[in-house]
Amino acid sequence: MSALRSRLAAIVGDDRILTRTGELRSYEADGLPGYQKRPSLAVFPGTRDETVAVVRVLADTGTPYVARGAGTGLSGGALADDVVLLGLHRLKRIISIDRDNARAVVEPGVVNSRLTAETRRFGLHYAPDPSSQTACTIGGNVAENAGGPHCLKYGVTLNHVLALTVILPDGTVVTLGSPNGEQEGYDLLGAFIGSEGCFGVVLDATVRLTRDPAAIRTLLADFSSVDAAAQAVSAIIASGIVAAALEMMDANTIQAVEASIYAAGYPTDAAAILLIELDGPAAGLEDDVARVIQFCRSAGARDVRVASDPADRARLWQGRKKAFGAMGRISPHLVVQDAVVPRTKLPAVLATIQRIATEHRVNVCNVFHAGDGNLHPNIGYNADDPDEAARVHVAMTEMMQACIDAGGSITGEHGIGLDKLQYMDRLFTAPTLEAMCALRAVFDPDRRSNPGKVIPIHSCSEWRAAPSVRAAAVR
Amino acid sequence: MSGVTRAAAACALPGTPLAAVSAGIDACVHCGFCLQACPTYLTLEDENDSPRGRIVLMRALVEGTLPPTDADVRTHIDRCLGCRACETACPSGVPYGQLLEGTRATLARVSPNPWIARFILFVFARRPLLWLAMMGGRVTRALRVSALLSRIPGRVGFAMAMLEATRSPVQRADYIASSDGTRGSVALLTGCVMEGLFADTNRATARTLEANGYRTQPAPGQRCCGALHAHAGDLDTARVLARANVAAFERAGAELVAVNASGCGAMMKEYGELLADDPEWHERAKQVASRVRDVTELLAAAGPQPGAPLPLAVAYDAPCHLLHAQRLSEPPLRVLGAVTGLELLPLEGSEHCCGSAGIYNLIEPETSARVLDVKLENIARSGASIVATGNPGCLMQIGAGLLRTGSRARVAHPVDLLDASYSRAALP
Ligand SMILES: Cc1cc2nc3c(=O)[nH]c(=O)nc-3n(C[C@H](O)[C@H](O)[C@H](O)COP(=O)(O)OP(=O)(O)OC[C@H]3O[C@@H](n4cnc5c(N)ncnc54)[C@H](O)[C@@H]3O)c2cc1C
Ligand code: SF4
Ligand code: SF4
Repeated sequence: MSALRSRLAAIVGDDRILTRTGELRSYEADGLPGYQKRPSLAVFPGTRDETVAVVRVLADTGTPYVARGAGTGLSGGALADDVVLLGLHRLKRIISIDRDNARAVVEPGVVNSRLTAETRRFGLHYAPDPSSQTACTIGGNVAENAGGPHCLKYGVTLNHVLALTVILPDGTVVTLGSPNGEQEGYDLLGAFIGSEGCFGVVLDATVRLTRDPAAIRTLLADFSSVDAAAQAVSAIIASGIVAAALEMMDANTIQAVEASIYAAGYPTDAAAILLIELDGPAAGLEDDVARVIQFCRSAGARDVRVASDPADRARLWQGRKKAFGAMGRISPHLVVQDAVVPRTKLPAVLATIQRIATEHRVNVCNVFHAGDGNLHPNIGYNADDPDEAARVHVAMTEMMQACIDAGGSITGEHGIGLDKLQYMDRLFTAPTLEAMCALRAVFDPDRRSNPGKVIPIHSCSEWRAAPSVRAAAVR
Repeated sequence: MSGVTRAAAACALPGTPLAAVSAGIDACVHCGFCLQACPTYLTLEDENDSPRGRIVLMRALVEGTLPPTDADVRTHIDRCLGCRACETACPSGVPYGQLLEGTRATLARVSPNPWIARFILFVFARRPLLWLAMMGGRVTRALRVSALLSRIPGRVGFAMAMLEATRSPVQRADYIASSDGTRGSVALLTGCVMEGLFADTNRATARTLEANGYRTQPAPGQRCCGALHAHAGDLDTARVLARANVAAFERAGAELVAVNASGCGAMMKEYGELLADDPEWHERAKQVASRVRDVTELLAAAGPQPGAPLPLAVAYDAPCHLLHAQRLSEPPLRVLGAVTGLELLPLEGSEHCCGSAGIYNLIEPETSARVLDVKLENIARSGASIVATGNPGCLMQIGAGLLRTGSRARVAHPVDLLDASYSRAALP
């Protein structure tokens, strides 16, 4: 390790390498601190050239590594289990903004919301808006194919990345996709986005910027049952109106938000609220607003109000975006799930989730992207209580199974990482998993980039056959 | 590997100030929303220098997986500005300020603070020494020694520039403000540095309050507020000073307590928490704390009255202990808004610390300078000729930075600008 350390130090400087236990502690977890793994070493390059040089040394020495952005991931994806942690948060330059063609080139450590802040003066923004956007990085977004409330209308990260410069685990620098949006041959860009750091490290991303809509209306609808809110969602979608965002929060979530610094003025006695955003050309927008209000009322909404001004609108959104964090007030520990179910199954699945929660005596908060059926049941609990922790574990597993049974998937946007590995066998057949292994081998034949994530080790025959690599990866 | 269990751990540091506040650590869900709010994370780019990272270190101390003697823990806790910007970013309500004070007090038991910190805290806790120090400062300033030495490199030059920055950039004539007292009676915290080096601002505070319907009165027997001590982990001295002030402001009897130094105001508003374990003083401390207001809060509640035109290009920089600790953003802007003719320019990053942070600039000069550089660049871009900010530490830090980089911009307390505007209105 010390030989490797000195080679890396020659590139990034001594103070940009951490090896002592005390200093590595902060890098043991991402946004899901139930999992903790200690890296063997952490290295923080400050420029693209340094990053390239670091990855080449890692290739040269056959060293496994894990890329890390801001560590806000919710599946344990950026955890390095006794391997090298490669922090990319210092690569935070916006390289260029092309106003006329509405695109930007950014380094991977640029924080999502900063890109929008810097392009706002041109009437542009970066559309994918994960709730963590004030913290997470574009590199992490690409790796997780992150979504967000407004992805219902505008699409997820995949739809907004035109090209990537990537360094493959063997040290080769390649360009995937094309800044002009045309793709020649296989869609390798599409394969890379969402690969959770297993295919290589993003050095820069050319992203599409979106024109700000001419007009925006944000509605807050207040329901006395979750079911009624779910019916309203179905009605809106069936009508053909494409909302920019369609989010649901249940009573537990509302109360956590209202107790926090981001209190948004949500009705604290509601069983559920919907936050609905409509945008587009001013003409016709009011008609859509009227229809959406009508759908909510028919489904049983107690009240529907339209945000009075941009400040009010921002406040309503802040509450939603900080909801997960606000749950920290309720209990010391938190697990969050991320499943997608067909929208028509929403009311049934929500009822099942509630039934499972009651049965196992756990406290579930639901806050999610209702418009695309992306559920986020959160369970607050006390990890120091082994009995409660065990019940939470069982409840979570049953909830995920319920989503799979409803024809859904085990991740909408947070990725598989470490946390969902346990569900992969339930969702995919052995040949499918083998195919995923084969795809990975194209980019990372030695499996040194983010080892041990996404695909359960036992499902890769080649992997099983190569114990030396595995030993290196999990050492 | 379930990700939901963890080994139950008993507190490894029972009976310490950190143990007393450790429940706050559990409120952190590790979401990272505080990272981009933290000036030390943004400049040093290591999560150990971020709120989330520091909380991880605090948790390790409580769990006993890192000892309080660990040098890395000390380094990263020392590097915290205590600006509490992480608190106003945190959806989970982590009481970071309390955690930091508890941690510092616990670490100080194991290895003492640097001598310079101990020396300053010693002086501020003793009236005669403090008087002498302030007197020395005023003489140095009057003899223009500070002006002469303000550009020499190193710590001495910076200290001289800080002193030089206490000279008020606005000229004003004395005027008599008459008050009908309808808004109630107010006792002023005159403060250490405020009365020692910003006496004009204290007079301006009284005058502008009077002009807006408050009746001001003195509160004899008051001491240093204890903020510097509390932030450095010397909670015992902070409590001694707090008790003296609680008694003094009880005696003064005024309905409200006005503070024009936001660091002191934040401290006094938290006297209840500081003396929570003192049965004799807790209720009294809470009572006095509930009467404390920043001067701009009082002025904003009264309007304030507009003054005569003062054509200045001003940028407002929010003191951390006003914005993040007291959570006040509007009142100082209202005060500046009452100065007719004043052009308020937007200042990028005005919510970020300037690197002053009590005595931080003296004990962590390198990090402090890097944080200040960012602030100075933003000020230069704003085009302002005056930077208004309501805390002596910030006035001196930013003022020194401006002087040493050859900028022509100067610093002023918002109340000074309002006072100058009133003084013009009073001219015949
Ligand atoms: C409160 C909260 C709310 C959230 N809300 C949402 C949401 O609405 N939608 C959503 O999609 N997610 C959400 N997330 C999850 C998380 O923010 C996203 O997954 C985000 O994309 C992670 O970015 P990061 O920079 O923190 O990456 P990290 O957590 O550091 O890493 C995530 C993965 O990306 C890889 N990676 C990081 N940088 C690079 C790079 N340069 N090259 C290659 N691989 C890389 C890592 O190896 C890891 O596998 C939320 C998280 C929190 C804490
Ligand atoms: S924002 Fe609050 S809860 Fe989130 S990591 Fe920071 S301190 Fe912890
Ligand atoms: S108090 Fe300021 S410097 Fe310290 S962790 Fe919080 S934001 Fe960072």
